Amino acid sequence: MTVANYFQPESVPEAIGLLADHGPELLVIAGGTIAMPLINEGISLPSQVMGLRRAGLDGINLDGYTMRIGAMVTLTRLGEQYHVPLLATDAGRIAGWSIRNMATVGGNIFAPPPAGDLATALLALDARLTISGAHGERELALADFWTGFMTTSLEPDELLTSISVPLDVEPSAFIKFGRKQANTPSVVTVAVTAGRIALGAVGPHPIRARQAETVLAAGLLDRATIATAADAAAAECDPATDAIATDWYRRRMVRVMVERALTELAAKSKGKEA
Amino acid sequence: MNVHGTYRFDASREIVFEAIRDPSTLMDVIPGCQDVHLVPPDNYEGHITLRLPGSAGSYRTEVRLVDVREPEHATMLGRVEGSMGSIAGEAQFDLACDGAQTLLTYSGSAAIQGPLARLDSRFAESLAESLIGQGLKALDERLSAEVVA
Repeated sequence: MTVANYFQPESVPEAIGLLADHGPELLVIAGGTIAMPLINEGISLPSQVMGLRRAGLDGINLDGYTMRIGAMVTLTRLGEQYHVPLLATDAGRIAGWSIRNMATVGGNIFAPPPAGDLATALLALDARLTISGAHGERELALADFWTGFMTTSLEPDELLTSISVPLDVEPSAFIKFGRKQANTPSVVTVAVTAGRIALGAVGPHPIRARQAETVLAAGLLDRATIATAADAAAAECDPATDAIATDWYRRRMVRVMVERALTELAAKSKGKEA
Repeated sequence: MNVHGTYRFDASREIVFEAIRDPSTLMDVIPGCQDVHLVPPDNYEGHITLRLPGSAGSYRTEVRLVDVREPEHATMLGRVEGSMGSIAGEAQFDLACDGAQTLLTYSGSAAIQGPLARLDSRFAESLAESLIGQGLKALDERLSAEVVA
C-alpha cells in the first residue's frame, strides 16, 4: 500500500476537521522522525497522512509566568531559547543536528522509550498539555497523559497542540546517560527540579520518581538525603532490557545518575542562595 | 510473543467471569474498542483502533472461548488483523477466590505475521502487556462502580 493522500492543513480547525473526516486511518505526522523510518521500511503502511508543518503550531509564547510551546516547535529551536535552561540543555543533547532540525516537542512526547528525553525534562517541569478536538480544548498534566507503553489518553479526534511550562523553575539539572557521549539512545535520562525527579528510558514512558520525591520533601538536600532518594528512585523504576542495556544495568545507573543530578541541583541551589 | 501476568479484582469470580464474557463490558474496557458482538455460543468479533506512534489504522479482531470451566478457567483463541500484519495466538486465564477478591492469572503466546513482525518483539510484548493492563484496570473500575451503585 502507498500513501494515497498527504494533507497539509493550514490551521488547527482544519486539521481537526481532517481527523473527523478520515477517522483512525489518518496518520498524523509532526517532524516525521518516528513515522518515516517505519514507513520507509514498509512496517507502517498508512493510506492517509496529515503533516502538521503548516498548521500554525510552531510558536513559542511567553506570558511572564509560563512558556507556551507549540507542538511543532523543533528541538533545534527549543535549544536556542534561554527562558527555560533545562529544556535548552535537554534539547541540545538529543540525537544529532539533522534529527533535531526535524523532530518536534510534541512528537517527542509520543516517542517510545528509550527515546523521549525531552518529555522527561517536561515532566520534571510539571508541564501541561493543551489538547484540541472537535469538542473544544482541554488541558491535561503531562504526568496524566500516558496510559501505558506507546499509548496515551489522546482521543482519536484530538490533537496535541501546545505544551506549557513554568518559567521560575531554576535551579535544575539534566543528565542523559548513554553508551556514548552524543547521538545515542539513553540508558537512563534524569531531569530534576526543586522537589521533582523525572526518569526516562526506565519505564513504559517517562515517569516521576514519586517515592524519591517524598524523600526530598522530608529534609535538606544533603548527601544522606540524596543517597536515600537515589536508592528510592532505583527501587521504583521499571526498566526493560533492550539492545542498549539490560534492566539490571539501567536500574544501577538510575541510582548513580539520580545521585549525580541531585548533587548538581544542591550545588546550584547553594550558588543561588549565595 | 509471550505475555503473562496477574490482576486482583475487588469482586467475586462469578461476577468477574460474567463480565469478561459480556460484549457490552468488553466494548467499554478494551482500549480502542470500536465495536464487539457475540456470535453464539462463544465467538466474539469486533474492531479496535489504536493510534500508535508512527502508525494508524483499525484492526479486525476475532476471539473464541474454548475449554470454558465457569467461573474458574477459559482459553481464548484470538486473531487481530490490520494493515501492519496480524497477530494470532491463544491465552489461558484462571480465576481464583481470595476472600472477597478474585485473583486473575493469565498467560499466552502469539505469532506475529506481516510487516509488524519486523519490529523488535519487545515492542509487541510491551504493548500487549500495556493494553491488557489497561483493560483489566478498566474492568476493575467498572466492577467497583457497579458495586458502589
